[in-house]
Amino acid sequence: MCLMYGYPFLSSIVRSFINSQGEFSFENYSKTVDLYLKDIVFTLAVTVVSTAVSAALAILLSVYLRLRQSPVSRLLTGLYKVPIFIPFVVVAQMMNTFLAPHGLLNLSLTKLGMIDLEYPLQLFNFYGLTFGFIWKMIPFSVLIIHGGFQMIDNSYIEAARSCGAGLMRVITRVLIPMNRPSILVALVLVYSQIVGTFTLPYMLIGGKIPTTITVDIAHRINYFRDFGVANALGVFSYLLVLLTAIYYLRSSVKKMAGAQDGEG
Amino acid sequence: MKPKRFLWVSVFVLVLFGLLSAGYREAGAAVRLVYMTAGDVNMLALGQNVLGPAFSKKYPDVSLMTVHTGPGDAGSRLIFEKLSAEAESKKESWDVDVAMVHQMFMKWADGKDLLLNYTKGIDTSKYVTSPFAKTSLGVSVEGFVMPMFHSQTALAYNPDYVKDPPKTYAELVDWVKKNPRKFGYNGIKGGMSGVAFTVGWIYWKTGKYEKYAITGPFDKAEAATWEQAYKDLGEFNKLVTITGGNVGTLDALNRGEIWMGPVWVDMFFTFMNDGKLDPKTRMVLPEPGMPGQPMFFVIPKKAGHAEEAKKFVEFVTSPEIQAKEIVMRFNWYPGIDGSHLKGAIPPETFNKIYKDVTPADLAKKGRAFPLGEYFGAMLESYEKWIK
Repeated sequence: MCLMYGYPFLSSIVRSFINSQGEFSFENYSKTVDLYLKDIVFTLAVTVVSTAVSAALAILLSVYLRLRQSPVSRLLTGLYKVPIFIPFVVVAQMMNTFLAPHGLLNLSLTKLGMIDLEYPLQLFNFYGLTFGFIWKMIPFSVLIIHGGFQMIDNSYIEAARSCGAGLMRVITRVLIPMNRPSILVALVLVYSQIVGTFTLPYMLIGGKIPTTITVDIAHRINYFRDFGVANALGVFSYLLVLLTAIYYLRSSVKKMAGAQDGEG
Repeated sequence: MKPKRFLWVSVFVLVLFGLLSAGYREAGAAVRLVYMTAGDVNMLALGQNVLGPAFSKKYPDVSLMTVHTGPGDAGSRLIFEKLSAEAESKKESWDVDVAMVHQMFMKWADGKDLLLNYTKGIDTSKYVTSPFAKTSLGVSVEGFVMPMFHSQTALAYNPDYVKDPPKTYAELVDWVKKNPRKFGYNGIKGGMSGVAFTVGWIYWKTGKYEKYAITGPFDKAEAATWEQAYKDLGEFNKLVTITGGNVGTLDALNRGEIWMGPVWVDMFFTFMNDGKLDPKTRMVLPEPGMPGQPMFFVIPKKAGHAEEAKKFVEFVTSPEIQAKEIVMRFNWYPGIDGSHLKGAIPPETFNKIYKDVTPADLAKKGRAFPLGEYFGAMLESYEKWIK
């Protein structure tokens, strides 16, 4: 573990403080802040919005799958997992043709008379990228969240109903609170995956300003062989992930402590 | 398995393996030429599937082993490090016999005594007229390199919408004002065609191509003079479409989203041949020019099989192979002067590749990429000034 994960991780942090002359300095960081601050903010914004929206939609879909037993929901249960197995590079190419100014989406909207193809929706930007991430991440979130909902015994739902709780109350007061841990796990995993994804932003908005941290890292390495700034950018992405990692660790530690108390 | 049986099986496997490998050596060629190539994976395919078998057919006692080091200058860097290590080891005979490198390699190797001065010894050097084979990125390379091919960037356009394409960068700026969002390129992080367009922009705005790409020296203060050029490019960017990469530009052209954009000529023809680009799409190389780059054959100073390596370079730079493989299969411009290919490729192919960007255009407006330090400074200035 130490050799395969710990060493590269620590060494990337150490090297982010070493300039091209091999001396200790903050040069890489000042260049990173100077050139890429907007990209760091952009990455954070895309990640937070994509995570929040995909979690919200995933919860809705999971609730539907949990509460409704119909041929449609059974079909959905089978289908929703498919995007999990589609690699990001394929998703990126798909989004490329779907979201392009003359892509499937804009052509369909034109056919419906909703837009003029001379002024198509421009989606190779924040919105398109967020859409791509949400599309890819909902199934993964549903897999985790729906699993949690399945563990909740029907008797809780029936008890709430018999006390007069409506659907909304059942969802917000019974299902979601009881399934909080798996929702948190989904949030953390989706968030960290999005921060680290390269292909989708590269293929969709690679040349745009702003773009994501991962695209900048590739740019520093491919064109400059500049591992210093690339590592500094990497450290910023660690920081972004750290926020959720700390939260996740704290909640799991709490849970473990709770479990031990329970045993004692 | 019982120990005794295990022993017998092991002996059998070993004997079989020995026989097979002996047989392989027997059947194989007497000389194994080690060919190290930088570049995209298509360079590996070219060596393994095309050049190797064709060369062995002509010279049955020589086989080619292609070693691929990866795309871009990074790939050439690995070759440079390998040769430097061989030089330092003081070995009499080096492992690598012949290598395919980018221009930047010649800059690194300058003055290091790593390469053989070999081109006089091969017959096809008389066909080479490219100025890149004399000086490259400010380094005198004559005698040390033979260009295998030249790849060039140009502006592709859709003649349905663009009747009179801009012939200069200045005309392009006017055109973009009249046709907002109809010009597309991929910025500088989405692939080299966008980088080439940007470099061409700076050559145009500064008029200092010679200093930045040929003579040098690097002067840090130059970068500060580019502020206005980049701010103008930033204004220009507001009126254009930023596409998703080299392929993204070609796709956008094909879908009719943009009417014009910078492309690599070889990708342009490959897309067209594969039916992914409307065959009526045309190209223009605007004044004062856009960059392209050659790939060079070099032979290490103490190559173990220098004579065979020369034969190999001669073979690949012969008009037949240049025509058949470099031009017709890979859609690159030939490393040797195009006029020598006239008999070797069908006239329609010849006319197709030189129809829009003529040999005269290439000679006059085919620019080099800037010297390494200027190149880095140009890319970084883009990020600094264009918000």
